[in-house]
Amino acid sequence: MIAIVATYAVIAAFYLRLGLHALRWLQAAVRFKAGPSSGAATTVRAAADTALDIMMLRRLLIVNPALWVGEWVFHASLFLIVLRHLRYFLEVAPFWVRWSQTPGWIAGFLLPAALLYIFAVRLLSGQEKFSSRANLLMLLNVLAIGATGLLMSTRYRVDLVAVKLFALGIVTLNPSPPPQNAIFMVHLALVLALILYIPGHVFTAPLVMLDARRRDRERQEVMHDR
Amino acid sequence: MTDKRSFGEELSPRQLIEIDACTQCGECLKHCPVQMVTGNPAIAPPEKIRLFREFLRATDGIKARLLGPQAVDPKLLEDFTKAVYECTTCGACGESCPVGIFTQRLWPTLRKELVRRGLGPLGPQPKMPGAIERTGNPYDKPAAERYSPWLPEQVHVAERAEIAYYAGCTGAYESMPMVRGDVLVLHATGIPFTMLPPEEEVCCGFPLFITGQHELLAGLVKRLVEGYQARGVKTLVCSCPCCVNIMSRDWPALYGKELPFKIRHITQFVVDAFNQGKLRVPRALHERVIYHDPCYLSRGVGVIEEPRETLRRIPGLTVLEFDCHGLNSRCCGSGGAARKVFHENAIAMGRLTIDEAVAKGADRLILSCPACYAKVNEAMQGYEKQIRITDIMELLASTLQ
Repeated sequence: MIAIVATYAVIAAFYLRLGLHALRWLQAAVRFKAGPSSGAATTVRAAADTALDIMMLRRLLIVNPALWVGEWVFHASLFLIVLRHLRYFLEVAPFWVRWSQTPGWIAGFLLPAALLYIFAVRLLSGQEKFSSRANLLMLLNVLAIGATGLLMSTRYRVDLVAVKLFALGIVTLNPSPPPQNAIFMVHLALVLALILYIPGHVFTAPLVMLDARRRDRERQEVMHDR
Repeated sequence: MTDKRSFGEELSPRQLIEIDACTQCGECLKHCPVQMVTGNPAIAPPEKIRLFREFLRATDGIKARLLGPQAVDPKLLEDFTKAVYECTTCGACGESCPVGIFTQRLWPTLRKELVRRGLGPLGPQPKMPGAIERTGNPYDKPAAERYSPWLPEQVHVAERAEIAYYAGCTGAYESMPMVRGDVLVLHATGIPFTMLPPEEEVCCGFPLFITGQHELLAGLVKRLVEGYQARGVKTLVCSCPCCVNIMSRDWPALYGKELPFKIRHITQFVVDAFNQGKLRVPRALHERVIYHDPCYLSRGVGVIEEPRETLRRIPGLTVLEFDCHGLNSRCCGSGGAARKVFHENAIAMGRLTIDEAVAKGADRLILSCPACYAKVNEAMQGYEKQIRITDIMELLASTLQ
């Protein structure tokens, strides 16, 4: 019962937070009068470049290739793991979710390794002093989520039918009790904590990357004839 | 907290999203020139963004929406204000940002918010609007003396022409060899050009914009645009990177419509003149020079190749590069109107530029910004390392004579 209430409470808090941020952006949109822009043309090439910026974390690759390796593997693994987990939330998993099962399972091993690598790069480059405590706690949380997930998929098996009933129950507003498994409960608690404190950049960084690419193109047109 | 309005009041939706998008990775710190000379992470870009998020939560967060705006520690606000104004707004942090936050625009906008709250600007900066209203320039120097100390008699300035030259306040009052070089080169092209009378060539607005004091901006821009329009100007040429930046990026918005003329940096104009055969360098100069990209010219408006092309047109010249150049150039320390408030930082940054120029074995350090010119010259006073500092047009003019 506590798990169900906590899950709904965290989901509600998440949407409230997202809603408040969206409200802030909307209020600014009403207030802000945008000036004339050079309006760089959006071409297929530009759109493809932007997509690559986001998927390959291109800007990070340019400024810090060593860190990029870890960050890219981490983000790609996280994406595959989330994709793999969709099977619990969809009554009939579509082909792309079924396809993601093996890559997602492999990603489960890569994610903690990538996180440890990121820590190592930051410590060795003396960069750690610039990270905020919240950021560090977030990474530790993700590491713990990955570790408990790995434990469940390799050693301490959990009743997957019960997991699916619980997840589907949450989504369909027809709650079902979670599986009676301590590691699962820890895993769930850590995931709820992550959702509660999920960094805003997860949602906004792709938008900013998109804008940065447009701005880079526009810069060449500010004082140069097209 | 007496001011209960949102901290995001002056920020565009894009900038509010940028505030959320900072990953706090600290990558930008490796490129921040203020960080290089102070080593103080408290004034680092991610720390400023982290603090600003706290302020936004205080006025726009869940608690604020339910219970009203929350109090913000005044000491925290004071420290934040200092950090925002200590920045040179060079934009190196944004250029190296893995997400791509447009910091060269974000920091001045945060300053505007601080001005609205009565927390900024700092030091002598609040005197600028008054000085500009009185004399047309932020230095409070007599308008009548804007051109006379450096405008050579042989240079003919037309009453009306398609080309106009804007000297800019810093060039006219603090970096005279630079603007003298500009007009000598313009004269050498044989292309007629006009200038506004000294009383009418008022501040372009950049010092006010960059310190967050926007009140006079629209009026200044209107006055200047109409002045040039009345002279039949089609292209406005200027050598100051800060001026050309605000002219090309912000004047249209401040004027309310598209400008009736193009804005060009003087090196763009000169390269065109070379290409059209209107300018040629009669004698060689066998020297090794190193060119420093001004932040608001390279990162700001993408004028990177033309200054180098100008230098390559001087026979015999070897052009060296700083390790950080072009879009990644390192600020010389005089940007963001911080040079007169955080003087020691600016001198230390200027000396980093001098150190590298000397280490690279350059005979001259070539600059193309009046603020850089004034401050790096100042940084060399009493410094153990010495190098000849020359403005790019000053150098070109010397080879034309």
